[in-house]
Amino acid sequence: MAVHHLQLPIDRDTVLALAVGDIVFLSGEITATGGLPAHKRIREFLAERRELPVRKTGTFVHLPTMMEEADGSYEVLYVNPTTSTRFNDFIPGFIRELDLRIVAGKGGLDAASLQVMQETGCVYLSLLGGGSPILTAAIREVAQVAWLDFPSHFRLMTLKVENLGPLTVGMDAHGRSTYARLSGEAQARVPQILEDLTTARDAFEATAAVASNTDQAAQSVDEPVTTGPDVA
Amino acid sequence: MIDEALIESTTADLYSWALRKVPDDTKRALTDARDREPDSGPKAILNLMLQSALLAETQDKFVCSDSGVPVYLVEIGGQAKWQGDIKAAITRGFAHLVETIRPPLLKHVNNPLTNERGHAGKDMPLISVDLIGNADYIDITCVPKALGSGRWSSIKTFISPDLAEIEAFIMSAVLEAGSQHCPPVIVGIGIGGTFEHAAKMANRATYRPIGSINPEPILAAMEERLTTAVNATGFGPMGTGGETTALGVHVDYAFGHGYTPVAVCFNCWINRRSKVRLHSDGSAERID
Repeated sequence: MAVHHLQLPIDRDTVLALAVGDIVFLSGEITATGGLPAHKRIREFLAERRELPVRKTGTFVHLPTMMEEADGSYEVLYVNPTTSTRFNDFIPGFIRELDLRIVAGKGGLDAASLQVMQETGCVYLSLLGGGSPILTAAIREVAQVAWLDFPSHFRLMTLKVENLGPLTVGMDAHGRSTYARLSGEAQARVPQILEDLTTARDAFEATAAVASNTDQAAQSVDEPVTTGPDVA
Repeated sequence: MIDEALIESTTADLYSWALRKVPDDTKRALTDARDREPDSGPKAILNLMLQSALLAETQDKFVCSDSGVPVYLVEIGGQAKWQGDIKAAITRGFAHLVETIRPPLLKHVNNPLTNERGHAGKDMPLISVDLIGNADYIDITCVPKALGSGRWSSIKTFISPDLAEIEAFIMSAVLEAGSQHCPPVIVGIGIGGTFEHAAKMANRATYRPIGSINPEPILAAMEERLTTAVNATGFGPMGTGGETTALGVHVDYAFGHGYTPVAVCFNCWINRRSKVRLHSDGSAERID
C-alpha cells in the first residue's frame, strides 16, 4: 500500500501509478458538489455544449459543502462526502466530457464508470463519511461558486484544498474496483454464511432443549416432595 | 412540573449534541474493532473515525455534514407531571435551533412530492410517543437520521416464517446495502407485530447501547450469530474491506398474526443519538 501526495491537476501517467488500496492526499483545485439537481444541470449543459460556470479541474468530488457569504466572498463552514452510487448514471459521461482524472466521494461507482475509467485513465477515491472535522480542515479557499439558486450543498464550486485526505483508492484505471471485488466475494460467501447461521441456530436449540429437559426432570423429581406423601 | 419551555429548550439541545458527539458506547466499540482488525487498511480507517469523533467533540464541530431528518422519541412515565402541548414545544424548539445553531444546518428536509427544501413542513419534526409504566419522568431521545444509512432500510412480510427464512432475509438486506451505509453500522431488526410496529422495533433496536446483552436468550443468541454473519461479508470500515461491517446487531420482536413483517434498518458508524430525562421537578438530566 503506497501513500501518494498529489498536486492537482494530475496527468494520465500519475493516474496509472495509483492502485486500489493506495492512500492519497490531494492539494490544489477540485470541483465539488453534492446534489442530484447539480448533476442534472451539468448534464444539460454538456448536452447543449455549453461551458460550465466553473473551470475544469480534472477532479470531481461528491462533497456537500456548507458555506457562508461575507463581504462578497465565501467561507466553507463544513464539508463531508456523499454517496457516489446515487450518481452512477451521470459519471461515465462526466469523466469523458469533463476530462476527469479523479472522481471522489463515498461508496464507489458501478461497472460502467469502471470501464470508462480504464479507457480514459481515471480513479475513484473514497473519503471518510463522518469525517467532516478532518476534511473541512483541508479546505483553503472557495475559488468559484455557481448556481446560487440551489441550496449550499447542491451548488457547483471550485475549492482549493491542501492535503485533503487520507483518501483510499477504491477503483483504479486498471479495471480494479474494491467495491465490485468485495460485493462479489460477499455474494460468494453467502451459502457458507447461511450454513454457519444454521449450525449456530441448531447448537442454540440443542442447548435450549437440554436446559428445558433438565428443568422438566428437576420438576418431576421435585413433584413428590412438593406434593408430599401426606397429601397423596 | 415539566413545562413547554423545558421541552422546547431540551429539543434544541438534543439535536445539537447529537450532531457533535459520537456516543461513548460507539467510540468504545470502534476502539475494540480497531484493536481486533488484523489488517492495516481497515485499522487506519477506524483510527480516522475515532480521530474525527474526538475532533468533533473537542472542537465543537459536526461529525457529518448531513444533519439528517429530525426524529424525536418521547417516552412518558405514568407518574410524570407535565402540562402543555408537547408537540408544539418540540416543533418550536427545533425551529429555534434551526434559527440559531452555529454552524447552520444544510437544508436536508424536503417535501417528497415537490422536492421543496427547508426545515419545517408537514409532520416535521418526526415525533413518536411511547408510554413507560409508572416512571415519574419523560425521556426524550433524538436520533437525526441521514440519507447514507436511512436509504437502506428494508421490510418484508412473511407467512409463518422459520428463523432460517428470517435470517436469510436479514442477510439479503445487508448484502444489498453492501459498502454504502458508512459501515461499521448498527443493525436494527424488528420481527412480528404489524407493518409499522416491526419498523418501529427495528429502528428502536438501533438505539440500544452497543454491547448490551439482550435479556431474551433466543434473541441474544440470534444477535451473536448475526453479528458474526454480517462481519463475515467482509465489506469492512467505509466499505473498503475488513472484518468489521457491524458494531452490533440488535433484534426485537412482538407477538403477531401468522403474517410476520421483518424490518431491517441501519445506523452509520457515527450512530447519532442523544437522550435527556425530564424529571417531574422540572430538572433535566442528560443520559446520552
